[in-house]
Amino acid sequence: MKLFAKVALATTLALSAAPALAQETVKIGALYPFSGGLALLGDESFRGLELAVEERNAKGGLNGKPIQMIRGDAVDPNQAVGEARRLTSVDKVNAIFGTYSSSLAIAATQVAELAGVPYFELGAISDPITERGFQYTFRTNPTSKDFANRMVDAISDAVAPALGVDPKSLKVGIIHEDSLYGQTVAGFQQKRAQEKGLNLVETLPYSAKSVDLTPVILRLKSAGVDVVLQTSYQNDTVLFFRQMKDQGFKPKAVIGAGGGYSLRDTVQAVGPENMEGALNVDFTQYRTNPAAAPGIDAFEKKYQAKYGTPPRSGHSLANYMGANVFLDAMASAKDLSADAIREAVMKVDVPEGTTPTGWGAKFNEQGQNTRVSPFLMQWQGGELVTVFPEKAAVAKLKTGVGAN
Amino acid sequence: MDVFVQLILNGILLGSMYAIISVGLTLIFGIVRVVNFAHGEFLMVGMYAVYLLAANLGFHPYVSAVPIVILLFAMGALVQRFIIQPLLGADEHIQIFAMVGLSTALVNLALLIFGADLYSVNTPSVRQSIAFGGYTLLIGQLVMFFCALALVAGLHFFMQTTPLGRAIRATAQNRNAALLMGVRVNRIYIFSFGLGAACVGLASALLMPLYPVTPTIGTYFVLTAFVVVVLGGMRSMYGAFAGAMIIGIVDSLSGYYIAPDLKEVVYFAIFILILIFKPTGLFGLGRGTE
Repeated sequence: MKLFAKVALATTLALSAAPALAQETVKIGALYPFSGGLALLGDESFRGLELAVEERNAKGGLNGKPIQMIRGDAVDPNQAVGEARRLTSVDKVNAIFGTYSSSLAIAATQVAELAGVPYFELGAISDPITERGFQYTFRTNPTSKDFANRMVDAISDAVAPALGVDPKSLKVGIIHEDSLYGQTVAGFQQKRAQEKGLNLVETLPYSAKSVDLTPVILRLKSAGVDVVLQTSYQNDTVLFFRQMKDQGFKPKAVIGAGGGYSLRDTVQAVGPENMEGALNVDFTQYRTNPAAAPGIDAFEKKYQAKYGTPPRSGHSLANYMGANVFLDAMASAKDLSADAIREAVMKVDVPEGTTPTGWGAKFNEQGQNTRVSPFLMQWQGGELVTVFPEKAAVAKLKTGVGAN
Repeated sequence: MDVFVQLILNGILLGSMYAIISVGLTLIFGIVRVVNFAHGEFLMVGMYAVYLLAANLGFHPYVSAVPIVILLFAMGALVQRFIIQPLLGADEHIQIFAMVGLSTALVNLALLIFGADLYSVNTPSVRQSIAFGGYTLLIGQLVMFFCALALVAGLHFFMQTTPLGRAIRATAQNRNAALLMGVRVNRIYIFSFGLGAACVGLASALLMPLYPVTPTIGTYFVLTAFVVVVLGGMRSMYGAFAGAMIIGIVDSLSGYYIAPDLKEVVYFAIFILILIFKPTGLFGLGRGTE
């Protein structure tokens, strides 16, 4: 009996070792919300990774080995954990790419870190993802702090010059929905505004489920606010623009933090003429000057050819850029062990303005990309066009909001 | 001072919006004795219906009010007949489970059909603001205010003067006595639930020009409506109307003078105080009637 057990054990070991020896492909996990409420943009994000991987496989793969993508469907944080476990322990992937949503990324990265599998985040913006001292979590995209800083900096670098005034003479008001998202961004904005010595006169949180923002608008109006920074979802963005018009509040500029500001539906609901001139900070969108984002037009064409529609948002582009950065790093690593990959990622040095998103890549010890600052965009004639920095701009920044 | 008056005006108009929604909730609660947890989702269904009529047939939201009120009446009556009626003998919380279940099902059905995107109807005429003496009002809000007044007055007239209204009041007062007097109580319930839902139908036609519709739009309004109903004394239509006005004004003033994110705190504090000191609500009929 004892002998049998030993033989059986040996056989099992041999069997389980065999696939590892025979491995000719590089396996990567693609962890995104493919179903459920986040599926639309989760899938859009995945398409960026898919295009990057297909492109590389067409060129012979990663150092001659084809890349095999294994999907994991992360509907919610629980399932993200489950799927990350499956990818790391059953499929034994060399790395995981993901995730679009911050709560999913926070959950899944913990699993990958414990399993010692590199986790490449290409789209979630919550800061703590790369602030927990993880060894194998890396992120290419900007964080909410980068968004907040760009919004505040836009006041002194873009809005004030366009108005021809001293930035310190402008009265700034911050309004934000009061969940974690709005709180986080607004917190960074307040800090940055203080550092920059801007005149911050109001900070007003409100519930995203509010059915009346008139009190908020009247507060801004009576404080004589010139520039409004808003961090919001979709409904509250629509309500704000509609009621701003109703109350005749005409600030010199309104700057949004992605979210509701980037969606065409929002503009449709508000009316393009009422949202004309609204500024927005977000992942790079397609109306950006290719001089600052080389390859953006090629990506758009490739996307159209494969999926038959133009890209639905900038998420695919951000994922495409990030996937390429990390695949390059994996290709240059001496082997595909987690430590070798980390070493290679730390050596990555891509200058800004050389990728399709315009972002560079240089990672700090925490694995966060430090060469990213999102562009400033503006709704002009029903299109979201990049207006700042100058090199990336395709149109000139206009002042004023709405038809006034 | 200017701002104060504007805020009061705004609060009254906001209140009339809450009033139309709350009156329906009060009717259902007061007569059928069911807490309609799917009330917000009825509103959502109504708003999608308004959207569909506007997008496909070009109906103005106010014109769609007629078919939508009929549609919601039918929907309410069907819910009463096929969901609540079989559960009338069961425990009250079974009915609550049924309504919460219905609400979840409707939200997810909307997600399935329409997705999470928002839809809106473009009616610039309703969104026109009128200015007088430095204050601004939207035409749509003004219409809502008069509709709220007309609704309460109309229901009052109906309840007090028609035989059906009398039967409804009898059923609400004492179900068994009404049964003995030959009132067909189950039919009264079906009709009353339908009537409550029809109020929401009216609300959805009036709200659609002002708010875009999403699957979760109901939750934006209905929590406040519950506060209004309790504040008004659970079963009193006039109480609901007055409660709605109070909440509207408190909402508007506290959003400005305290902080926009604390306005819920203020009116829930009022809510708790009322529950402590006058558990039957401002216009309640006394202990034991709730």
